[in-house]
Amino acid sequence: MASQIREWSGINSFAPATQTKLSELLGKLKQEDVNTLTILVMGKGGVGKSSTVNSIIGERAVTISPFQSEGTRPVMVSRTRAGFTLNIIDTPGLIEGGYINDVALDNIKRFLLNKTIDILLYVDRLDAYRVDNLDREIVKAITGSFGKGIWNRALVVLTHAQLSPPDGLPYEEFFSKRSDALLKALRLGAGLKKSDVQGYGAPVVLVENSGRCNKNETDEKVLPNGIAWIPHLVQVITEVALNGSKSIFVDKTLIEGPNPNDRGKFLIPLILAVQYFLVIKPIERAIRSDVAKENRPSWEMRDTEKTNRKI
Amino acid sequence: MPVFAAAPSHLLNPTTLPSSFTSRRKLAPPSSSTAATSRAPSLKCQLSSSSSFPTPQNPQPFELKPRGPIIKKLSIALAVASSVTLVLNLRKFVFKGDGNFGGGAGNGGNWFGGGGGGGDGSGGDGGGFWKNLFCPAANADESPSQEWDSHGLPANIVVQLNKLSGFKKYKVSEILFFDRRRWTTVGSEDSFFEMVSLRPGGVYTKAQLQKELEALANCGMFEKVDLEGKTNPDGTLGLTISFTESTWQSADKFRCINVGLMAQSKPIEMDPDMTEKEKLEYFRNQEKDYKRRIERARTCLLPAPVQREVLQMLREQGKVSARLLQKIRDRVQKWYHDEGYACAQVVNFGNLNTKEVVCEVVEGDITQLLIQFQDKLGNVVEGNTQIPVVHRELPRQLRPGKVFNIEAGKQALRNINSLALFSNIEVNPRPDEKNEGGIIVEIKLKELEQKTAEVSTEWSIVPGRGGYPTLASLQPGGTVTFEHRNLKGLNRSILGSVTTSNFCNPQDDLAFKLEYVHPYLDGVYNPRNRTLRVSCFNSRKLSPVFTGGPGVDEVPPIWVDRAGLKTNITENFTRQSKFTYGLVMEEITTRDESSHICPYGQRVLPSGGISVDGPPTTLSGTGIDRMAFLQANITRDNTKFVNGAIVGQRNVFQVDQGLGIGSKFPFFNRHQLTLTQFFQLKKVEEGAGKPPPPVLVLHGHYGGCVGDLPSYDAFTLGGPYSVRGYNMGEIGAARNILELAAELRIPVRGTHVYAFAEHGNDLGSSKDVKGNPTEVYRRMGHGSSYGAGVKLGLVRAEYAVDHNSGSGALFFRFGERF
Repeated sequence: MASQIREWSGINSFAPATQTKLSELLGKLKQEDVNTLTILVMGKGGVGKSSTVNSIIGERAVTISPFQSEGTRPVMVSRTRAGFTLNIIDTPGLIEGGYINDVALDNIKRFLLNKTIDILLYVDRLDAYRVDNLDREIVKAITGSFGKGIWNRALVVLTHAQLSPPDGLPYEEFFSKRSDALLKALRLGAGLKKSDVQGYGAPVVLVENSGRCNKNETDEKVLPNGIAWIPHLVQVITEVALNGSKSIFVDKTLIEGPNPNDRGKFLIPLILAVQYFLVIKPIERAIRSDVAKENRPSWEMRDTEKTNRKI
Repeated sequence: MPVFAAAPSHLLNPTTLPSSFTSRRKLAPPSSSTAATSRAPSLKCQLSSSSSFPTPQNPQPFELKPRGPIIKKLSIALAVASSVTLVLNLRKFVFKGDGNFGGGAGNGGNWFGGGGGGGDGSGGDGGGFWKNLFCPAANADESPSQEWDSHGLPANIVVQLNKLSGFKKYKVSEILFFDRRRWTTVGSEDSFFEMVSLRPGGVYTKAQLQKELEALANCGMFEKVDLEGKTNPDGTLGLTISFTESTWQSADKFRCINVGLMAQSKPIEMDPDMTEKEKLEYFRNQEKDYKRRIERARTCLLPAPVQREVLQMLREQGKVSARLLQKIRDRVQKWYHDEGYACAQVVNFGNLNTKEVVCEVVEGDITQLLIQFQDKLGNVVEGNTQIPVVHRELPRQLRPGKVFNIEAGKQALRNINSLALFSNIEVNPRPDEKNEGGIIVEIKLKELEQKTAEVSTEWSIVPGRGGYPTLASLQPGGTVTFEHRNLKGLNRSILGSVTTSNFCNPQDDLAFKLEYVHPYLDGVYNPRNRTLRVSCFNSRKLSPVFTGGPGVDEVPPIWVDRAGLKTNITENFTRQSKFTYGLVMEEITTRDESSHICPYGQRVLPSGGISVDGPPTTLSGTGIDRMAFLQANITRDNTKFVNGAIVGQRNVFQVDQGLGIGSKFPFFNRHQLTLTQFFQLKKVEEGAGKPPPPVLVLHGHYGGCVGDLPSYDAFTLGGPYSVRGYNMGEIGAARNILELAAELRIPVRGTHVYAFAEHGNDLGSSKDVKGNPTEVYRRMGHGSSYGAGVKLGLVRAEYAVDHNSGSGALFFRFGERF
């Protein structure tokens, strides 16, 4: 299987500084005995999921269709380098026509069957100003599919990071406002409890996939705040991968939800008792009263009255 | 057949001559077996009742049976299985009355004369009048075509009876009654008219006319009666019967007693040489005897309102007259016959000339109940069926000591018929010869064959290539049934049947059933009616769970085969209400179209391909499930028909309790409750031919399951018995469902039209069925429909609008929705 996976050659197209950093991070992962990393990329349509995948891999592994929605089937891109395998699963946009696309979600779930998700990249745009119900719905759908635990393995990725914030807001302030709003929606959508919220905050990472992305002196792609984003992204991924929480293994029960056949099973003896005493018995009593009240023909009544007749 | 005997009283009350009013039942016709032989093998109840008013025979042209008494035929429509013959015979009752008894009217009459009047009997020759009235031989020899002689007298003169020639046969052109007291001629509608056996147009000799007159004189209705002839120019005679009606003292009390089964005390012959003192003594004895008789007699069934009615008649009248007694007798008998006491008759009025009128009734007490078995030729044989089996079906009112009632007889017929053991059932009441006034109820039964086997075959022509039937596609199919019923005479039976559509390849589809039925589980004498059934079965059904919603084209069908063993006990509370509980062990196999075992439902992919990763069809996931569960079902049904429309309430609760025995240890509680109420919206008069009332039907059905739920046990919504206007399962398949329906039925010309609205809802539980077949096959999970239809015989034709798609369609369905 591993032999069929292509060598991660795209890594060579990165700037040397980036390459060094990535090799360092991969080495760190291998040190922690992590040889495989599976990254699930999810988000609305047209936010740049596929582009992000391509940027990480360093080649055009996934076709990008900027104007139409992608196919409805997820795609997994696997690359290996020095015994380390990176799987990135690109998924179709979850939103279609203002609603969650159930078919797409269903397809994703089926595609993920029997796979382990180490990292979830929840992708949205930085330059979207508003957080609405739809975001919450997506978060809900993801939570519903993979459970709350997925958010411990999640990164919020904001694309189109190279922008000038409106109204002359400082870039950092705009970024923190945007990420706060998104994280709030995430918390609400995932239905995380207050106690969970305390120490929790999915790391927010900025990404700029555009080819016109600014570069620094070492030819690394940098964001307006001066951070080289690819190494930063991989670093955060590494941190999350090693944060001690469990990876999500997608099996049948996870996809189909809890087994409804097991729900309330322990109540069955009680239910049976209730049925016997509160349904069967009253019906039986009603039958007996029917019998007593039955309209008998007069001849039947008459003879019961004079049972003491002698022959 | 009460007849009134005249007992002219000379001693104490010379003015009121007839002090007694005796009624005698008719003498037996030669043989009582005539009725038996003439019994038609049809659903007919012959009531050859002798209880009709005495209509002495007459040579009327229209009288087809000159010797037969008036036969009242009661046709009882019994809705029973076609091949079974049920006969309820009510034939002539033969009470062996001695002809002489009434004849000694002077004596016999005395103890009826009882109290104040104290009838004396230097009475007429009663025997004579008996013969006269009851032996129509006296004048039955005429026939309408008979020759007659002219009177040979001048026209329009009045001739006394004794002036007529004894050798001539006179033709009577008309008969007039002349009431001397009222001084008027009474019409033929008068109750007296039926006392006379002569009819206009008849031909009589002088002797016959004289006998007739004697009979009238002795019947007790008249104090005095005369017969005169009036010559007509054409040679015929016009008869005038002039009479004075008998009357007695007025009475203000009425008593009705049942004298059936009481020994008729033989009157002691009165010695004509008795002294006055002896005579007084004699009458006192008679009086005492009668009082004792009244005391000994049992109270009768006649209810107080009717008794009051009679009393009212007595009070209004003042003097008790013969006509009044006739009216009273008619009223009393009418009540009895209306209530079904077909054997009841007023036999006598006693205690006349006192303040009290005593009406003696023979009600028809049952003295014996005989159950007989007959072979095909009608010979009495020893039956296989045990008597208690039949006995427990008989209403209590047919037991000895009760008064025979025709309704009880009919009930017995119906009950015995429901045993389905007999091909011919007869219930005959016949008079008890040893016990006067008693009735023996005879139940004659012809048993069905115990062992039957039946083979029915059918050829199904299957379209071959190109849609044309080919020789190879002719398949011999059919059913083999065998039945061994009434094992040990206790109505236990074994029934087996095998059905296949292709005998050459029976493994393709073979439906079999083997059932053992064991009634009277608690013993045949125990009134508790529990039946044990053990059956071995299989069945094949198309699963409605794997059905597409609107707009989904073909969903590959899934067949659910069940084979297993079922043991249950049914306790019948009433004919309709029952409680069944038992154990079911079955193996369920799910198959696809080509009969291959199929563990998962199939679904059509958008690309057109078929994927087999649909919802699982079984609990085990292998396509074969085995399970054992307890099943209980209680049905309360108090519906009844009001002029053909069902009214009442029907509640059914069923629970299947898994025991954790079987594949994947299925443990579940699957329950459903159905409540249906039929409201009668208008009060109507009940009776045959009356229109049925409009009825509102409200129906609710809840089904739910906790625990393991394989898809074949999921509740489906949609279909003719769920939500009309949809296909079976078109709305969804869910763990919990609720169906609500309302239907309004309006009677129209012997049938009814109806409008309905229905709703089915999965209560959001579709997702709780493994694999969510509702969603996979794109169904809504809830849906409503409304529509209207008309009932045409057994078929319902209805137009139903499916609310989910908004389109309507016309459906034809068999049977009732509720």
